[in-house]
Amino acid sequence: MIANAGWLLLWGVVVGLDLICVAQTMVSRPLVAGTVAGAIAGDPVAGMAVGVILELFALEVQPFGATRYPDYGLGAVAAAAAAAGAPAILGTGVGVSLGLIVAFVGGKGLHLRRIRNGLDVDRHLDQLEQGNLRIIYALHLRGLAREVLRSLIVTAFGLLLAEAIRRWAPLTVQGAVYLGIVTLGAAVSAAVTGAIRLAGRKSAQQWFVLGLLGGLVGLMLR
Amino acid sequence: MIGVGVAFSSEPLLRDLPGGVQGQRYRKALVRSASYFNGHPYLIGLAVGALARTEHEGVPPEQIGRLRSALAGPLGSVGDKMVWTGTLPSASAVGLVLAVTLSPMVGVVGFLVLHNIVNIGLRVWALSAGWRGGMQVAKFLGGAAIKLCLKVAGPMAACAVGLALPLAGAWLARGLDMKALLGVGIVATVGIVFARSLWPTLGGLRFGLGGVALAVLAGWL
Repeated sequence: MIANAGWLLLWGVVVGLDLICVAQTMVSRPLVAGTVAGAIAGDPVAGMAVGVILELFALEVQPFGATRYPDYGLGAVAAAAAAAGAPAILGTGVGVSLGLIVAFVGGKGLHLRRIRNGLDVDRHLDQLEQGNLRIIYALHLRGLAREVLRSLIVTAFGLLLAEAIRRWAPLTVQGAVYLGIVTLGAAVSAAVTGAIRLAGRKSAQQWFVLGLLGGLVGLMLR
Repeated sequence: MIGVGVAFSSEPLLRDLPGGVQGQRYRKALVRSASYFNGHPYLIGLAVGALARTEHEGVPPEQIGRLRSALAGPLGSVGDKMVWTGTLPSASAVGLVLAVTLSPMVGVVGFLVLHNIVNIGLRVWALSAGWRGGMQVAKFLGGAAIKLCLKVAGPMAACAVGLALPLAGAWLARGLDMKALLGVGIVATVGIVFARSLWPTLGGLRFGLGGVALAVLAGWL
């Protein structure tokens, strides 16, 4: 049984709300969400490991306008719950794989929530056009309530999946190692692609190369 | 932030309009504030402050509508470029470096502090500048500091992510043998080739999920 599942569920709601609706302090970033979830589940280092990998994935996301994107924060919560207590690469690979599935489902949930919010506004256009303050507050609060519900459902789904994998993992050790290799490789490729996009113009991409060289020097000095 | 959110945020600033919350000006201003809008959440204060100020100054509704339309696009693009492709990935990269070189908690706290200095600072500045600017709010968006931020945001983020990648990669790969490291390198290279030339719309998540499916299959076989 996953330790502190209730607290993880609560943390999932905080993470989900922070992503868009409340404050955006970025506790919803996988690095934070995963490390804290790992600490709640009793293994902060495993939480950080899955958080770092999912953070590399998240560096590719540029949430402009109405872009649809995965919810890597809730993915990190589920991933940390799955990886907690498992041996290094075995737990990390399985956890991140689960995190990617939950991030995908969470992203679909975000889109569904936006549609529901839009329909809600459409239904009350008449009252909005009359400057009805009560309806403005009600629409706002109902939007928040939908986000709480989405976060609860996605986190619960992730935790159930994590528990199922921990009990009946249908994987060989070799399979778990493959998952670790594939998820790490995919995360690195996502981060590199994201960084090249961040730089934008070709002439600015030298900054990415410069940073890469600095990182390699730092690695050699350690 | 869309129209309803702007109305929710603007409402406290409109309560002091002549006639109070029962007055016609308050009601009409509230209707205008709930109409369509879209902008970056950290800079939305510029619009909220400026539009509320114009309501207090009794600017004609058509002009307020034009200001509203004129602000939506630039607020979105400036905020997206400055925060989503600039300060956020930079803070994230610094957090990653701190986490893998010092400790998980230092990384998490370092990232949150760095990001939220920008987050809170921008929100406070935006609301105050919007209120001070009113109809002239555009001068703040075109200021030298904003122009400089927009110029350095992307390169700074790319440099920070580049710096973090080898350090984070080495921390994650600790304990892997040469065969596994070669596997990671091959997957990363294939992913980059897909993203840059073969299938640019695939995205990291779907590439990762595809890889996971193949890995599970390979594990069973």
